[in-house]
Amino acid sequence: MSILGVELRRSAALGAALITVVIGVGALYAATGRWSGGWMALAMTIREYLLLLWPLALMAGAWQGRREHRAKVGELFASTPRPPVRRMLPVLVAMACTLAAAYLVVTVAGLAWIVTTARYLPLVNFVVVTGVGVLSVVAAAWLGLGVGRLLPALVTVPALGVAGVLLVGVGSLVPPDRVAAAISPVHGTSLFHDYQTIDSRVSGAVAIWMVALAVTGLLLFVAAGRRARLAAVVPVLLGLVAATAVVPHDQDVLNWPVDPVARELVCTDDTPTVCVSRVHAGVLDAVTPPARDGLAVLAKLPNAPRAVHEDTGVVGFGEDRATPQEGVVTIDVRIDRRGRLAHPAAVVPEIVAGLGVPYDGKCRNRHAATERAAASWLLGREPRSDVGVVPGMLAEDPELNAEAVTLWQRLRRLPEGEALARVTAVRDALLVCEDPVGILSGSAG
Amino acid sequence: MTWTLLYLRARRVPLALAAAVGGGAVVWGLCLAFAEDPDVAPTVVVLTVVLMVAALAPTLAGPDENLERTGSLRWPWRRAAHLLAGLAVVLVVLLATLPTEARFGPAALVTRDAAGLLGLTALCATVFGAARSWFLPLGWTTVAALYPQQGTWGAIATWQGQSTDTRAATWTAAVLAVGGLIAYSLAGPARRDPSE
Amino acid sequence: MRAVSTAETATTTHPWPIHAEGLQVRAGRHLAVDGLDLALSTGVHGLLGPNGAGKTTLIRALATVLAPAGGRLTLLGQVVDGRCELRPVRRALGYLPQHFGYYPRFTVREFVGYMAWLKEMPKADIPGAVQRAVDRVGLADRADARLKTLSGGMLRRAGIAQAIVNDPRLLLLDEPTVGLDPEQRLDFREMLRDLGTDSCVLVSTHLVEDVVAACTDVVLVNAGRLVWRGTPEVLAAQGDGGHAGDSPAERGYAALLRQHRAEANR
Repeated sequence: MSILGVELRRSAALGAALITVVIGVGALYAATGRWSGGWMALAMTIREYLLLLWPLALMAGAWQGRREHRAKVGELFASTPRPPVRRMLPVLVAMACTLAAAYLVVTVAGLAWIVTTARYLPLVNFVVVTGVGVLSVVAAAWLGLGVGRLLPALVTVPALGVAGVLLVGVGSLVPPDRVAAAISPVHGTSLFHDYQTIDSRVSGAVAIWMVALAVTGLLLFVAAGRRARLAAVVPVLLGLVAATAVVPHDQDVLNWPVDPVARELVCTDDTPTVCVSRVHAGVLDAVTPPARDGLAVLAKLPNAPRAVHEDTGVVGFGEDRATPQEGVVTIDVRIDRRGRLAHPAAVVPEIVAGLGVPYDGKCRNRHAATERAAASWLLGREPRSDVGVVPGMLAEDPELNAEAVTLWQRLRRLPEGEALARVTAVRDALLVCEDPVGILSGSAG
Repeated sequence: MTWTLLYLRARRVPLALAAAVGGGAVVWGLCLAFAEDPDVAPTVVVLTVVLMVAALAPTLAGPDENLERTGSLRWPWRRAAHLLAGLAVVLVVLLATLPTEARFGPAALVTRDAAGLLGLTALCATVFGAARSWFLPLGWTTVAALYPQQGTWGAIATWQGQSTDTRAATWTAAVLAVGGLIAYSLAGPARRDPSE
Repeated sequence: MRAVSTAETATTTHPWPIHAEGLQVRAGRHLAVDGLDLALSTGVHGLLGPNGAGKTTLIRALATVLAPAGGRLTLLGQVVDGRCELRPVRRALGYLPQHFGYYPRFTVREFVGYMAWLKEMPKADIPGAVQRAVDRVGLADRADARLKTLSGGMLRRAGIAQAIVNDPRLLLLDEPTVGLDPEQRLDFREMLRDLGTDSCVLVSTHLVEDVVAACTDVVLVNAGRLVWRGTPEVLAAQGDGGHAGDSPAERGYAALLRQHRAEANR
């Protein structure tokens, strides 16, 4: 007869693991768009759902920790020779193994969704982030066991649940960033950009803190006397000091660090070159045909761009906007809920919209109606409102499209060569940031 | 007077009351010390309400429910009074923070969530027994407070986390509160083994 | 006043499995066992006495759950005080408390096996020992039923099973026949006689007939002290028609108590 087997069957371990799997998988699949981008996005989203899973593990530990008090076996067990540490070992192992397995099952369930579409696997980072998640859940269970044995009242379990939610949730928002990153496994897991990862020093700090909590729970759970219980305060303080010492200072590294390898461009072998970032490499085949169609449309202009790259700039990161390359058009690449290219119909309009001239955020001389009329002439169709075509556009001034339609109709009445010359002139004006108004109607010089 | 004191001690109300009020006081103290905004975030308010309700949940049944039912006492109105007294405790404690520097409000949110959650807890006590009656309210409220949804069905599913002007949420809370009160008063808590 | 037996003169590693000299044990603030002298050898000993006499406290001290407050207690040759290594004694100990705590979700087999593991029995021996213990108490057909589904008497028998699973040399049973029906009590007495052949068994009970039927030796305590010690026949001979009781043993018990109380008041 195996005592570990008995504990697995008869303790709260299996029930807690089952609830963890149900909640974890349910939360993941309720919103797959948040993590369909790739392996790191999945790992970080599961870590974000520790907001629910960590208090759950804490409550499961507390429920199990009350067992000896609830069953009133203290008298009987006091007459047995086995020391308390060895007696508690099967429960500790059972809770740790089942909850770790539950976390990994949730991860595998998420992997089943993205394994065909995600090409970029940063193995070390993925393993570290998932490993810290497993460690967090085990630490919560052990801490719960210790507190449940220390305070066996029935109210301990829900109180720990709420305390766990507040510690993990509020602990990632309210304290200063350095402390929050060290104590909350949820900090830094909200995805602000697609190349986000978690810095290894932050992972190390969270791991130190979780180990400290686990040791505290262990000490409280096996403690025989008051002095041993008081000693349990020491690991918590040491862990807090050590974790905040390890955490880096830089705000950007704490909150949304960029993985440089994920940002590198992966390109097609043949020309015209289409490049996407490595983390989006799975959609390169999907984005290439419409991107080349867009380049073909722009090829009517002289000195047309010959390559399409993904825009890998990260907004608000504090770095300067990359200087636009000669002959390259940049587009945004988005991933949908299934891990495939989102809005494939928006690729061509996005390429042609600025006539191949990148928007560098400084030039004030751009005129939307003129550009849209010129682009529509190149595409050979009537100007359309951007709402519903360009993702993110919710409303548009109707006069803009009306003006563009007027300009377009005037362009259409001109002979082919003359219209092309005017469109080229608009493009050249945009390149040097001159006012393009009036070029199409011929009124400007 | 004596009967009331014995009843409260049988239901272990002093400990539950201390835990509920103490828990609320700890959260209030933390908000006072660390939050910049005098209005506490709605998520924290909702979680504090469910903490207090969960602390009071075990008092909904005595140690031996079978024994208590053998008495000839009229239980329904006493059970209803117990539940309403629990509601009064939660409301008094949380609304007492309104004049302070860490306000647990608005009052409508606290009232709606406390009444609805107590009703839901009483309903769960009728089905699962008092010791486990807080499982569903705590789990549902945590998810609802952290991830409130839009739309009518979303507002009903996550009624605890909705703003106070959402009619679907208010109606859901009212149904749970009244339904729970009636069910618990008439049926009483589920009979469980005393060893639970 | 102590009964001297031939076992005392035999050369063994320890003369008495249980040897208490002037033992004092506290139950809370109150000194429940106050100056008790007791030497028990192999056999079944019945512990009788009124409520509050300190029987349960004595048994708890013998089970090493409580540390003695004064005097000297030697179990299986090992002196028991607050600091000494108690594990060797506890490995040879079997204890059934008055309020038997158990894990309701465990089955009988699992709980008895868990207790065998707690008593540090070798892993390989545990399944066989569990089966033997369960068979001996008559729960073989309910061995895989959860403890919470058992009736009061069956639960008590499961408690006895966990006490005997490690073939203890020192077996302490506090109110073991509570809830057993008359037939099961007969089986229990048979089991006690069997156990008493090579271990020291101390049974604390209020049921005088059980003591008379199964025990080789009766120990009577009152107010934390030893009142009388002897065989059941001599106990029955102590009383006559003038004392309260429905059997000779009960009358003897009443007579001895009255005498002890009279002496104490003098």
